[in-house]
Amino acid sequence: MAFYLLTLLLLPLPTFAVRANDPAPGVWQSRTDARGMDCVNLGQALAHERYPAEIPDLPARRLDGPANTLVCTRRFLPPDERRPRDEAILSQLGASVLELTQAATALAPPGLTWHADAFYPDEQVGQKIAVAARMALAETGHVVSDRVPLLTGGDIAVIGRMAPQDGYPLACSRYYAEQVMGMKDAFLGVMILDGRETQLHAGTCIAGTWRWIR
Amino acid sequence: MHRRHLAVDSVTLRPSLSVRLLLFILMSVSAAAAAADSSLEQAQTAQLESLRKEVAGQLQLQAYDLVDELVYGWTERPPFVVDTPVVLADVSVPVGFGSGLQALIENHFASLLIKNSHSHVILSHCPQCTSVVVHSGPKGTVVSRGADAPEALASAGIASGSRRALFLDFEIEGSALVLRARITSLEPTLPIVYARTLTTSTSSAALLRSEDHLKSAEEARKEYLDLLQGKGALQVPLRLGIRSYAAGDGAVSLAVPFVWIQLGVEVALSQSRAWTAAASVGFSWAPSTHQGYLANARFSRLLTGQTTSLSHPDLYAFLGASAIEVRGPDALAFQPKTATTENILAAVRGTPPEMMFASFEVGLTLKVKNRIGVSVYLEDSPALNQAPSIGKIIDLGVVQFHSFGAEVSVCF
Repeated sequence: MAFYLLTLLLLPLPTFAVRANDPAPGVWQSRTDARGMDCVNLGQALAHERYPAEIPDLPARRLDGPANTLVCTRRFLPPDERRPRDEAILSQLGASVLELTQAATALAPPGLTWHADAFYPDEQVGQKIAVAARMALAETGHVVSDRVPLLTGGDIAVIGRMAPQDGYPLACSRYYAEQVMGMKDAFLGVMILDGRETQLHAGTCIAGTWRWIR
Repeated sequence: MHRRHLAVDSVTLRPSLSVRLLLFILMSVSAAAAAADSSLEQAQTAQLESLRKEVAGQLQLQAYDLVDELVYGWTERPPFVVDTPVVLADVSVPVGFGSGLQALIENHFASLLIKNSHSHVILSHCPQCTSVVVHSGPKGTVVSRGADAPEALASAGIASGSRRALFLDFEIEGSALVLRARITSLEPTLPIVYARTLTTSTSSAALLRSEDHLKSAEEARKEYLDLLQGKGALQVPLRLGIRSYAAGDGAVSLAVPFVWIQLGVEVALSQSRAWTAAASVGFSWAPSTHQGYLANARFSRLLTGQTTSLSHPDLYAFLGASAIEVRGPDALAFQPKTATTENILAAVRGTPPEMMFASFEVGLTLKVKNRIGVSVYLEDSPALNQAPSIGKIIDLGVVQFHSFGAEVSVCF
């Protein structure tokens, strides 16, 4: 009797052992831990390419097709370590900024020198966004300057009180009026328009004309 | 909580004794609650600091790896044709981290550049470039870092045209660490002359490399694959083990622990080594008491994960079977008759007795890097049910374990 009881107790062990790698919340992992995972669904071939020790290569013959591979990596920081808005923007920074710069440069004539800046409530995060934008422009073969066009204090005092939809076009025209930018310069501004949103917007200033990208 | 104290302190009415008593109790409770809050905050702060240290430790290694890759890229394709002085203008760490990490990265970067001079990037000292400078011109007064205001450097007599400023920007994007490195020429238009983004999500697995001999990500990956493949499907384990049999009732006990040396082969049944099969032969000898021979086969299943780990021990469960032959006086213990003193003396003087029996084993093995292992197991030897000198360690009815074994193994 004792043997059968012991067998019954031991039977689920292999299942538990396999479930230990499951990123879903459960016996082995709390909900908080599960939220700290960054998971992406990869094909078996790509997963083997990236993780050769963990994922076996595609077999030469297989009737049921390649296995579905979910690759989960633990995030460096728990989700609540940084402010939610900053975390949402920073975690997608490279991809979202690249998308914006590609859209901006596609609409601009060639041969311009690009300047980029970010307008974000947190200065440190804003600096990160600006650097990412400049890097994305430079790495796609454009001439980029680290210099940021600046307006006078009077201009900023007026523009700062305006709605973004009016303020950015006015700032653009002031750049050219003040001769901070020339006809060979282009400016890419990346910003959020509402303090509650987590999506980046962008606009370009070329030849004194402001154009919203997104 | 502090506000509550203020509220109580600001009462100016003259209260009655009962009200004063009530106030005293309320103050005591609030003081206790404040003390509890304080200790909770301290515990949270300590936990947060511990978490930060752990994250910073992982981050530092990966940041080093990205910096290694950057400098390696420069040694292969130098950004400048000739040796060029570059000022490390800024190292910005991910949002939420402090200057300690920044200092570590700066030192590592400087060390790499000194040891890899053929990158043509020469670190230059320019305190004015990184400090805040004030420059007044026709368009107004600008307060900025020197690296952001080349005019200020030029008016201060620093040859700005011959200098470059390097900016290293690290940021955490989800589970990846991203390095954005750019070099800006310190001239009025501040053109970016070099830009490169490196990320841990697309590069090879993090590998700390020797500073004197940097490798490309491809070379590092090849070494990693070689290491993985070097495990080989076939291994030769050498085991040193001990089997201890339970003593039976009412007889002279001869069941001394048996020391075994075993040599065999182990085959991985899958690339991930989740299943393995092993066969071995063994020998045991003790002066004047026994010599034993053994043939053993085992099937093992990995319990900790889907594949073996190069960095953590792996736990296997195994089932096995052995054929054991024992010759000498100790074999009397395994025979289905009571071993008496007379039998033993007769065995020593005359023809040594011998006994052969089969055993079935179940156990666990802890292995490190598939090289060194420690195993424990229980054995059921059905033939020994009839041996009065042998008892049972665990009796589960259908299965009766007569012996307990432990062994260490080294794989070649």
